[in-house]
This record gives sequence, C-alpha cells and structure tokens, in this order.
Amino acid sequence: MAMRKVAVVGAGMTRFVRRALETGKELSYEASKMALDYCDLTLDEVDCVVHGTAPDSFDGVHMKGEYLSDGSGAWRKPYTRCYVGGGTGVFAPIHGWYHVASGLFDICLVVCEEKMSSCQPHPQGAFLTIFDHTTERPLKPNLLWIFAMEMNRYMHTYGLKKEDIALVSVKNKRNAADHPCSLLGDANITLQDVLNSEVLAWPVQRLDVSPVTDGAVALVLAAEHVARRICDKPIWIEGVGWNLDTAYWTNRDLCYPRYVEKAARMAYEMAGITEPRKQIHIAEPYDPFDYKELHHLEGLMLFDRGKAPEATALGITQRNGDLPVCPSGGLLGVGNPIAAAGLMKVAELFWQLRGEAGARQVPGQPRRGVAQAWGDLMQVGTVAVLGV
Amino acid sequence: MAILNKPDKVHQAIAWHGDIPITNRYTAGVAGERFFREVKENGKFMGTRCPECDLIYVPATMFCERCFAELDEWVQVENQGQVVTYTILYWDLDDQPLAVPLVLALVQLDGSDGGLVHYLGETDPEDVYIGMEVEAVLKDPAEREGSILDIRHFRPIQV
Ligand SMILES: [Zn+2]
Repeated sequence: MAMRKVAVVGAGMTRFVRRALETGKELSYEASKMALDYCDLTLDEVDCVVHGTAPDSFDGVHMKGEYLSDGSGAWRKPYTRCYVGGGTGVFAPIHGWYHVASGLFDICLVVCEEKMSSCQPHPQGAFLTIFDHTTERPLKPNLLWIFAMEMNRYMHTYGLKKEDIALVSVKNKRNAADHPCSLLGDANITLQDVLNSEVLAWPVQRLDVSPVTDGAVALVLAAEHVARRICDKPIWIEGVGWNLDTAYWTNRDLCYPRYVEKAARMAYEMAGITEPRKQIHIAEPYDPFDYKELHHLEGLMLFDRGKAPEATALGITQRNGDLPVCPSGGLLGVGNPIAAAGLMKVAELFWQLRGEAGARQVPGQPRRGVAQAWGDLMQVGTVAVLGV
Repeated sequence: MAILNKPDKVHQAIAWHGDIPITNRYTAGVAGERFFREVKENGKFMGTRCPECDLIYVPATMFCERCFAELDEWVQVENQGQVVTYTILYWDLDDQPLAVPLVLALVQLDGSDGGLVHYLGETDPEDVYIGMEVEAVLKDPAEREGSILDIRHFRPIQV
C-alpha cells in the first residue's frame, strides 16, 4: 500500500468541566481555534474536517454532527462525523489519518466534543437506549451494570481484590492534579478514599468511575511535506488499528478484551513494533473505570493477562515508572466528555513526545506512545501509535 | 491559553428544559419472534445451532455472525444455568438510591453458548456467587406476553 506519512502538528483542549456555559459548537470552536493557533494555521488552510462525538442524546441534539459543524471549522469544507461510541476519541484521528494518508487531503482538522451536562436528570438515562430493545431494555438497565458485571468477572478470573484495582483511580486522579484542564485532579486522594466511596453497582464504587463532563479537544493532522514545513517537531502517526467484537456481549469472554488485542496488533504491525513492552514508552489506555485501564493494558499486550494490577501496585505505571500509564490523569482524573476524552489521550501523547507536558512530563525523553479507546457496546477497540 | 482559566461557575446561565418526543414500536425479529413465542406458549428456551461453528446461540439468532450461515436448526436448551457474573445495584437510572438493592446476573443456560441477563431473586444478595446454579422462574402462562419479562427472574436451585 502506498500511504503517505501523517503527523500531528497541533493540539488544543478546553477545560473539562461539569457544566460548561459554552454550547457544544462553542466548545468545538475553542478547541479547534487553539489547535490551529498552535501551528499558526488559518481556517482557510484546512482542507477537510473530521468530527467525533458520542450518542446524540448526550448533547440532546439530534444529528449533532451537523449541529457541531460550524464550531468545528467545517463551513464549506469536506466534513464527516465518525462514531464508535466511547471508542470515537481515538477513532476520529484514525479517520483523519486516512483522509491524509490516502493523498486526498494535506491538512485535516480533527475535533471531538461532548456536552453531557445537557442530559437530564443524568446521562445514565440516555444509556438505556443503547441496550438491545428486545432482550435488555425491558429490564431497565443502566450504564453501570454491564461494566460492574465485566469488572466482577475480571476480579473473579484473576482472584483480584478491590484494592488492587482502586490503585488505578488513585494514580490517575493524582496525575490529573498536574493537568490545567482537569475536573477531578486531586494530589491528596488515598486508596481509602476510593474504597470508602459509595457503592453504585457492586463492585463499582463512586470513585472507580469517571465523571460526567463537558469539553472538547482538537488536533491538526498534516501530510509529511506540509508537516516538515510548518512544524519543528511533528509527531508521526506510526500505526492505527481498530476492531469490533460481537455485539452479543453475553456471548463474549468478559475477562479479556480480545478486540483490543486485535486492534493493537494491527497498529503495532503498521508501526513496525515487534516488542511493545520495550518499544512503547508511554501508554494512554482508556480508563472510564479503573479496572478498564488494567483490562486495556493487558489487551494492548503491555502486561500479561491478569498481571496489570501487580504492575500498578509495584509503581511501574506511575509517571516516573518504567511504563508511565495515563500520565495525563486519564478519564478518571481529567474527566470524561466521551469522544473528547479519547482524543485528549492522543493530544497527551503529542505534548509528551514533544516534551511540552509541563508538570506532567514523563522523564527520559519518551519517543513512542500508544493511545487506546473503547466503546460501542463495550466491544470496540481503537488504537493509535504515535512517535517522534 | 486564557480558556484554561475560565471559571467553572455557570449557575447563573439562562437554561431551560426540552425533550425529543419520540416513541418506538419494535419487533423481536424472525428468530426473536420464535424464541419469545416458545417461552410464552410452551415455557421453553430455544437456541439456534450453527453446525459450521458448533455454537448454539441463545437468544436464538437468524444467522451466524462468525460464518454468515443462515441458521435453521432449532434446539431446546435448559431453563437453568450458571451465573457467569453479577452485580448488585444500589442506585437507579436517575442516580437516586434504590430502597432495596437489585441483583442482576448474566446466566449461561445449560446446553447453549449464550446467556441471558436478568434479575436474580429469592436470594440474599450476599449469598450470590459466580458459578451459582440458577433456574428461570416464568410468569403464569396467562400472564405471558412474549417478552423478556415473561421471565420473572432467576433463582438459586435448591439442592
Ligand atoms: Zn457459524
């Protein structure tokens, strides 16, 4: 395949907040404007726009891709919205990548937005409609049960305790204390705080879960010849992968995300990675729940199955550990405006690999990172490998 | 980056409530219709078998997603099975506390490769465990409507 090299050359991010005054369009505008300003581009230099955003019901705007188009800089441009649920935030830059890699466009603006505070009384209610209308919705499911059952299965399979998993929440909320956009950063949070938080759907407790959030993130992607001209240190998209497992979640192995592994294998092969544990220096796996970071680290083949909790306890995944994981603070700490949260992970790799992450900077001049998101009916994995 | 310093206090913002008034009318599908009719009329759980993949789908499906075969081999599976995993719910959909915690379980029906998610009743939440043997409790035939709610809940099998 003759594909062009594609780089990230700019990134922008709004603060992640519980309830933004800005509309979704305005959030999209703020992030997009910052990303363009970062690399000194004007809107007329952008060839195409990709938007990623989660279910319409969160913003309460039907066909919100169209609604958000002007704030995303899409006026009179080729524009598409992509959507794979929670996996959207890492899929959107993949979608942008093939726009540029194909040779069709030189500069692509990728924007992800979510304004979940519009959904009343709580966005959980909107999740009712994602379940099967015949076999599940009559039982009035909420978002948490499906995850609580997966977490329980994971704990059961590997003999894990709540403490083993809650350490992830502590790490990420502490990391987020150094992020200027974070909603829930807390430098002083303790394991006991997490373990003492109220039980929502056992084994999931309040502080095991990322919060409802408003926010937007944008990236500018450029073809190699443009990237080298406008950016002193382009960060290359070296590999991308995505994969979908069965939508019958009742028929799936709940303790291991095989679809994440398949997506990772696709991305690693493209990036020429044969030993991910040696060749990847930073990981930003999707962490809407603390157990999901562990699940995903194993799916990304960065730790053996069932061993990510032990690595967490040993400090390997701390910002100054051997494999820093979610140095941004992740969804648990920075916040979880669904699609924007996934794109935040790719933006974090951009800042980290450029050495611009400030107080969050991972030591040792990291040269390659992996970002991953997960979603749909908990069966999609989206993976991007970025490198210097 | 001035935007990063914006205050997070917007309680004074003008806001109003709205809704998107849509209701829907669903069908269970070609395979689903037969699956739920069997439950309603005969109190039986039926799956469809893919001979190529050697899998029995429950609830029954019209086709095999793995090899794309059309499935027409219907087999009866048991009304009982094992708890694969479960959760105990303390909060409702609107983030309000529930008066009585609810147990939900994923039950793999014996003789099948699939399962059903449903309530677990007639047990103390504390006594539930993964691997527990449970059976479906159906509504009386006259009350059944061809819905997943024709199953009242699953309950532990008394040994
Ligand atoms: Zn088959």
